[in-house]
Amino acid sequence: MSLVDTPLMKSLASYLDVTAYRQGVVSANIANIDTPGYHARDINFKQELDKALGSPDAPLTPRTQGVPGLQERPDGNTVSLDREGLLLAQTQLQFTTGVALLRSELKRVSMAIQEDKGS
Amino acid sequence: MNLFGMMEVSASALGAERVRAEVVTSNLANAESTRTPEGGPYQRREVVFGTQRPSFALSLASAGAPMQDAGSSGVRVRGVVNDPAPPVVKYDPSHPDANADGYVAYPNINPVNEMADLMGAARAYEMNVSAITAAKQMIQQSIEILK
Repeated sequence: MSLVDTPLMKSLASYLDVTAYRQGVVSANIANIDTPGYHARDINFKQELDKALGSPDAPLTPRTQGVPGLQERPDGNTVSLDREGLLLAQTQLQFTTGVALLRSELKRVSMAIQEDKGS
Repeated sequence: MNLFGMMEVSASALGAERVRAEVVTSNLANAESTRTPEGGPYQRREVVFGTQRPSFALSLASAGAPMQDAGSSGVRVRGVVNDPAPPVVKYDPSHPDANADGYVAYPNINPVNEMADLMGAARAYEMNVSAITAAKQMIQQSIEILK
C-alpha cells in the first residue's frame, strides 16, 4: 500500500467501474425500447461490486442477466421506460457520489503532502 | 463498455427513432395518395427495429478488457416493410382514379394510429437524449477528478 494510492481509492475506482458499466446496460435497454423481442437486461450490482472489490486489479467482467418480473408487451419487448428512467438517474447519482468521494480522498492525500512542507 | 460506448449505443437509437418518425410522417403525408410509381394507392409503411452488435471500433477499443457482452447492444433499422392491409375503398365517381364502378382505393392509413406512433418515437428519442446527457455528465465528472 502506498500513500497516494490508498485502498479507498481502489475501492472507489471499482465502484465507479461497476456503476459506469451498469449505466451502459441501462442505455442499451433504452436504445432497444422499441425492438421487438428484446428483453431488458441488468447486472446484479451488489454481486458485481463484491467481485470487483475482491480483486480490484482484475479486469471487470460483469455478467448481465434478464430482469425477471417485467411485463412483456405484445411485441415481446420487456423494457419499462419508468424502470430504465429511474435507473438512469439513480446510477448517474451513484457515479457522481463516487467521483465526489474520490476527489475528497485525493484532496486528503494532497493536504497531507502540503502539511509536510510546513515542518 | 466505456463511457463513450454508452453514447454510441444511445446515438444508434437516436438514428433509428428518427427513421421511424420519418416513415410515420411519410405515412401521414401520403394518407390520400392514390397514385404511386409502383401503381395503385400508397401502401402504409412500418419500420422494423433489431439489435445491433457493437461496432468493430468499439470491440477493438475494449479488446484489452473483456467487458462487452450481450447486455450492451445498440439498435438499428432492420428494414421498412409495407403494411399488407388492403386499401380503403370509397365511392367517389368524379375522382380521376375511380374504377368503372366509381370506387376509389385510398391508402389504409389511420391518422390517429400514426400520431400515436409519432409521439412514441418522439418520447423514445427524448429518453435517449437523456441517456446521452447522463453519459456526457459522467465523462465530464471523470475529467474533473483531474482538476
